[in-house]
Formats: sequence, structure tokens, C-alpha cells
Amino acid sequence: MKRRNFFTSLGSDKPSGALRAPVQGVPHVASPGPAIFTNALLRTHENKEVRFYDDLIRGKQVLINLMYATCEGTCPIVTSNLVKVYETLKNRMGKDLFMYSMTVKPEDDDPTALKDYAEMHGALLPGWTFLTGDPYDLETIRYRLFRMDHILIDTDIYSHTSFLLIINDATNRWLHVDPQASLSTVLKKISWADPPKTREQIMEENRKLQEQIDKERKKYGYRMNA
Amino acid sequence: MSKPQGRKKKEIRKKEGEVSRRSVLKMGAAAGAATVLSPIILTSKKSSVFGQTGVAEPVLCAPTPVPQSPPHTPFVDDLPVPFPAVPQFLSPAPTKNANIAGGEAARDPHQRWEEFNPSVTYQLEARAGTHQFHRDYLPTYIWGFNGKYPGPTILNAYGVPSLVRFKNSLPLTTSSFGTNKTTIHLHNGHTASESDGFAGDFFDTGLFKDNHYANAYAGIDDFGGFPKGDPREAQHTMWYHDHLMAETANNNYLGMNGAYFLYDQTSPPWEFNTPGSVRLPAFYGLTDFPLILAQKRFCATDTANGRTEAFQVIGAAAPSTDKFTVNGKIQPKLSVRRRKYRFRIINTGVVLPFTLSLHGPDGAQKPMTVVSSDGNLLHEPADCSATSGFPLLEVHVASRMDVVIDFSQFSVGQSVYLKENTQTPQFVSTPTPPDPAPGVPIGTVVMRFDVVGNAIIPDTPPIPDTLVELPPIPAASNPPFEWGFRFIPGRPNAFRVSHSAIPENNQNHVDTDLPFDPFRADHAVLKGSTEEWIIRNDTLAGNWLHPVHIHLEEGRVIERAVCTVPSATGCLPANRTVQAMPPWEDGNNARRDVYPVAGQQSLKIRLAFRDFVGRYLIHCHNMNHEDAFMMVRWDVVETAAELRRRREEINADRIARGEAPLYRKEDLG
Ligand SMILES: [Cu+2]
Repeated sequence: MKRRNFFTSLGSDKPSGALRAPVQGVPHVASPGPAIFTNALLRTHENKEVRFYDDLIRGKQVLINLMYATCEGTCPIVTSNLVKVYETLKNRMGKDLFMYSMTVKPEDDDPTALKDYAEMHGALLPGWTFLTGDPYDLETIRYRLFRMDHILIDTDIYSHTSFLLIINDATNRWLHVDPQASLSTVLKKISWADPPKTREQIMEENRKLQEQIDKERKKYGYRMNA
Repeated sequence: MSKPQGRKKKEIRKKEGEVSRRSVLKMGAAAGAATVLSPIILTSKKSSVFGQTGVAEPVLCAPTPVPQSPPHTPFVDDLPVPFPAVPQFLSPAPTKNANIAGGEAARDPHQRWEEFNPSVTYQLEARAGTHQFHRDYLPTYIWGFNGKYPGPTILNAYGVPSLVRFKNSLPLTTSSFGTNKTTIHLHNGHTASESDGFAGDFFDTGLFKDNHYANAYAGIDDFGGFPKGDPREAQHTMWYHDHLMAETANNNYLGMNGAYFLYDQTSPPWEFNTPGSVRLPAFYGLTDFPLILAQKRFCATDTANGRTEAFQVIGAAAPSTDKFTVNGKIQPKLSVRRRKYRFRIINTGVVLPFTLSLHGPDGAQKPMTVVSSDGNLLHEPADCSATSGFPLLEVHVASRMDVVIDFSQFSVGQSVYLKENTQTPQFVSTPTPPDPAPGVPIGTVVMRFDVVGNAIIPDTPPIPDTLVELPPIPAASNPPFEWGFRFIPGRPNAFRVSHSAIPENNQNHVDTDLPFDPFRADHAVLKGSTEEWIIRNDTLAGNWLHPVHIHLEEGRVIERAVCTVPSATGCLPANRTVQAMPPWEDGNNARRDVYPVAGQQSLKIRLAFRDFVGRYLIHCHNMNHEDAFMMVRWDVVETAAELRRRREEINADRIARGEAPLYRKEDLG
């Protein structure tokens, strides 16, 4: 079955000036800022000190996941999926979209361990930062951002490693997706945190989707992947 | 509702009106003529601006510590009855092919459009609004159809094809936890795929989508007559709700659902003696009520903003809750008279089952007669009572249970309580008010019925011993396909399809246990065929129960079993112990569309796939679970040649992923 999905063909990887401009007059409540995120001093895989909110989140669209360097099973799968996400969106990465992977085992994962992990998984890429720091800070961030309201799942470290948080701080938009979902699904959810589209953009995307449906119907006799 | 509170509500409405005018003005001034938005302002027909709803966005309370909802006084609000949706002409007129230029969301052309040309049309607009959940609360920010929670009830009849234009007017950016795309499923309409609210068929703010409801019985191809289809496949109690992939819990928690009743001659909207009528209480809002149940938690009342907002952690699954609501009110009361009433209980979740019982003023359990399960009249009605062997009525998320309560057994002035038996009792106030009846703690009461007088509308006759004849249980297509929940580290409760005759199917493939993907069908069936499916939960007893929902068709449960020797790779037939089923589940007496399976349990069901083709879903209806992608797409295909091609593709995809194929040679058709 051909897997070329509508969404990847839409060109959602291109930053567009009009799309990125803040839409005026659309009211929303501003980001709670450090009150939720904390402004903890963290350390990157390049051994740089960063403030979590001020340097990494403020005004940005970001993707955050949890991992640890010795994690087997889920983490490598998730990381390799995130590499695919990165590659598809690489024109935006480090410009208006940022990827953060935070360790849940800061005691074990120093910057070198994180850098080795990133290198091993082909994730040493501009705009993708691995983070460690004080265990108390990281647990606070994990609790505030990744807490699951279900004690069995919350205490199962594995369940946190298959969870990608998507935040657009400028519009205060939060979403999450299972990074083990298909590439097209993950990309779609990331796009849901993009700055709001204009009516013209929405109409144009809709028109293209119908074109795709019609094309498939002509080819297969039914709607296939659109 | 008392007078002073009513006035307060009005003042708040006014305040919000001002907010909207002010922000529009501000926008006009700031935007000038230069921004991308100005053409939209000019072309906007309504006073509202594209992507804006004029309702102030919520200021959410801190996620930690999880707040306790504000206290409330029990039984002060009357049970509201959602207003029936009013039919209206649509402009632009509905079309078979999506009206892209007119702003309709992309879709396949309507199936059977000429055959069921809609004669009644409605428009429901998904938009932000406010709703007061209790007299003691300030309004709460909601998303609802026509800005209301619950949405308007659609009252329709078999033989009258209808079309509902769902318009997405949700805010373009939002500070709420909802996601401003939508796709609406009529649960469990016998609906063509393009109108079925498939989870991947969502559309943006500013677009609309016409859902075409043939309102024909399943079996259109095999049965002539009027209304078309097999009248034994009648469905009477349904609900429509947002089905946005990965965000269904949040959007429904915000209020995006409503009831949909279908009438026919067995269950008409009147109680008079007309041919074929089983003569149940039937006057909407007088003797026949939807009871739309939901679980909520609220932030502390914010007087500065004039709101009591719903609690939710943005970016997270729906929270644990501490209030029950019925038709949008916390612990409402309903004045009833000494006669029979029909209550159509709909659990809109978003997570937990209600397990209900009825109690009189002395606390003793009183009977509720179950007449319909999942919207379908039972062959024989059955009592949920202390003596019937089935003392508790489980209503799983998305399930509907219609009960008849005969209040003539009570005297005027008495009160009767609907009790919830398994969820954590709701927080009422501190100190906890006394039990309203012995053995009925106040926090467990969902609502109260007050018997205020003798019947004014004459009572309906006794409920017949036999309500309807059911169609024969579909023949088996052995061996069955199995849909199983497995517990895999990092992927709790992965939901996959396998084939009972291919044991290798039951191996876990940690690297390939794929979550839902709207672009990937995991099973294909032939239109007009029947299949036996087993839905099983291979996790251990005590783990999550999964209320599994199947779109398009009602199924017949032929066996409920528990696996005495649990195994992650399925249950050997010798280890399967058959369990008794309540009469509202047993396929000999009931038709279902929600199939609850607890850990180690399995259900064997039979289904026919009729009349429509396209993409359909099977998924857990615990909305947090469906958002975590315990959901699978399966397709109905038109021809045997197509079935073979699709099944070969599914096999090839599985083999490419390192799995065993799903179909044997003989399954390829
Ligand atoms: Cu579930």
C-alpha cells in the first residue's frame, strides 16, 4: 500500500511568513510562564547552562519528550521516530520549532551521557537539545508537564517515555501525542499547535484535500489514504 | 432556580457581551486595513469575527494541587431538558459532493444520496459558550453545539432522511484545553462512512460538514418497504459527539455532545394506541427524558472573571473527577407524577462507567425496568432490582440504557434517588450533608425524583412481556477475528486485531504494535457479509475495563467468558469459562454497540456489515483510552475483488513489519 500521505505532501515543513505572523485580535489567555514551567537552571548535552522557561520555552513552539540514556525498548523507538519527525520538519527546526529531550534519570545522565545517546541515535542535530539538571527540578517539571492522573501509569517510568508534549507558548497551546504513532499522525498533531491559520489558508488546504480524495477515488475506486 | 441567582447570571452575560464588543473594536483599531484578517472582517456575514466567539476565554486554575470542586447545595436545580433541534433550510443547499467553494469540509460523495434525499435539515454550530452547572456556581466556559451544553436534542423518525450541517465556529486560538477541530459521530447510527465522524475526518474552524443520516433500518439492500431496511434493526436512543482523533476526551469534557432520538411505529413520540406501538412513556420532556450523565471537576469560583471553570490540565488526558452532572446540572431534581416515565440514560463519560440503582425514601432498592440497551429495544424487558439477580445497572461510557420507572408505587411527597455505586462519591460540601435516605450517602446520589402528584397525562399500559422480535443472530464466519488489548511496557493496553486460526498473530510485537493511524486499515470486510469477532482483554483482572465500541452496525453478544489462566498471547479455549450475561447484554435478548471487557474477559459477538462502504472504527470508548489510540480503523469494501486486494495489502504490510499475516488463503475470498 502506498504510504504517501496527504499531510506530508502538503509542505507543512516550510516556514511561511504569513503563517508565522501573530494573528492580531484573537484573544487568548497568555502563557502561565515559569509558574507552570519553572525557570530551572538546566544543563544541555553541550554542557551549556540554560533557563528552562526563558531560554527554551518563552514565545516558542516546542516538542518535549522524556528519556534516559540507558533506556531500552521504548526510548530508542521513540527517538528514531523523533528523528523522522525532525527530518520532515528540519526547515523549521531551530528556527520556529524546537525539540527537547529531558532525562528522567539526571543522576545517571550527565551531558556527556546525553551527547553519546544523541550521537548513537542520529539525534545530534541543530535545534534538538538534550537536557539534564538537578533531579528535584527535573522531577518538578516532569510532575507539572507530564503527570498522568492515574497512579499506576504515573509511576510506570515507561509510560512517560512514549509521550510527546507539543507546546506553542506564544498562543498558549498545549497538545500531546504518542510518538509511536505514525509519522503523519505526529506531524498532524504538531501542526495543531502552529499559529492560527487564516480563513484563506484553511480553505486552500481543504481544497487540496478534496483534490487528493478525488484523485484516489479515480485511481482505486475509493478513498484510500487521503 | 431562585430569582437573585438568575439576575446574577444575566449580569454576567452582559459582561461577556461587552468583552466581545470591546475586543472586536480593539481588533478593528489595531488591525487597520493592512492585516491578513481584514478581508475576513469584511466578508463575515455575522457580527462575529472568523475564529472569535465573543466569549471570554477561560483562565484555568493551577494544575497542582488538584482542586476540590466548589461545594454545592443538593437538589436545588431542576433537571433541564435540552431543547429539541429546530429544522431549518440550509444555505447553501446540501449537495452530494462536498461543496468546497461554499466552505464544506472535504469528503467522499454521500452514498445513497438520491435514495435518501434529506427531507429534514438542521444546522448545529460548534462554538464556545458558557453554561451554569449549578445554582451555587458562576458560569463555566464550554464548547457546545449552538453554544449549549448539552447540545440540542435531535428528534427524528425512521423513513425521514435527514442531514445535519455541523459548522465549526470554535475559536481560532484558545486558552482552553480543547482542540478547535472537530468530526462528529452519531453514536451508533447506521451511517455512511463520510457522515460517520471518522476520527481522521476532522475539519477546521470556518468550515462546515454535512452529515447525511438516512434514518433507514440496517438491511436496506435486503428489505424493501417503508421505512426501508429491516424494522427489527430499529435504534431509538443515540447521541452525537465530537470524535476528533487524540482529543475526543477534552472536546467532550468541554461539552461537545447531545442526544439524538429516532422514532418509529414501535417507539413513536406519543403514547396513544397506534399500530405496532409498544406504548412506552413517550412525550419528550414530559414523560420521556434523556439523562445525559457526565463526570466533572471544577476550579474554585473566580469572582473576578465571573466564572467557575472546569478543571483540566492542559495537554493532558481528562482528570479524575468529583462531580456528576445530569443534562448539565449537578444533583438536579425532577418533579414527577404517579405514573411511568422513560429515562434514556446516556453516559457521556468521559472516562468512568456509572453503576446505577434506584432507592426509595426508606433507602430500599426499587425496580427500574430496562426496556432498551444501547438504544435498541430488548426482546423482553428486564428489571434491575434487588430481587431480579441484576441489582446494578452498568452504563459504560457511550452506552445507553433506557429504563422505565413506575412512580405510582410511591406516594405524593416522597423522594426517590438514583444512586451511583462504584465511582468515588462526589464532593458535596463540608461538612458532608446527612444521607437523604438510609444507605444512600449524599455523594452517591446522581439525581432526585420528587413525586409531586397524581398523573395528569394518563399512564401508559403495563410494559408488555415481549417488546420486539429481534432479527436472527447473524451466521458465524468461522474462525473469528480477535481484537485484543495487550499490556506492553511503554504501550499499556495496545489494541490489535488477530486471527484465531493463526496463532502467531497473538505474539506481541513491541516494535510493531502500532497505535491508531487514520491512514491504515487493519482489517477489511465485505459489504453484505457477516463475521464473528472476539473482543478480549488480555490484561490481568483488576486492570482497566475497556468499553469497546464498534461503528456502523449493532452486534449480538453470543458469549461472555473469563480466562482462568491469563496469558499475554491469548486464551486457550480450555481456559475459557463462560459467564452469565445480564438480559440487556445477551444476544438472544439484546443488540449492543458497546462491549465492556474487564481484564481476562472476552466477548464473542456476531456482526453483519450492510448497506454502506468506507472507513469505520473499533475503539475503546473510555475517551482517554481512545485518545491514547486504543482504536483501529477497519474498512467495508464493495466487491470480492476489492476485498482480496485489500486483504492481500494488509497481509503484505504485516509481513513487512515482521508480523504474521492476518488472513489465510481461504480468507482472501
Ligand atoms: Cu479502554
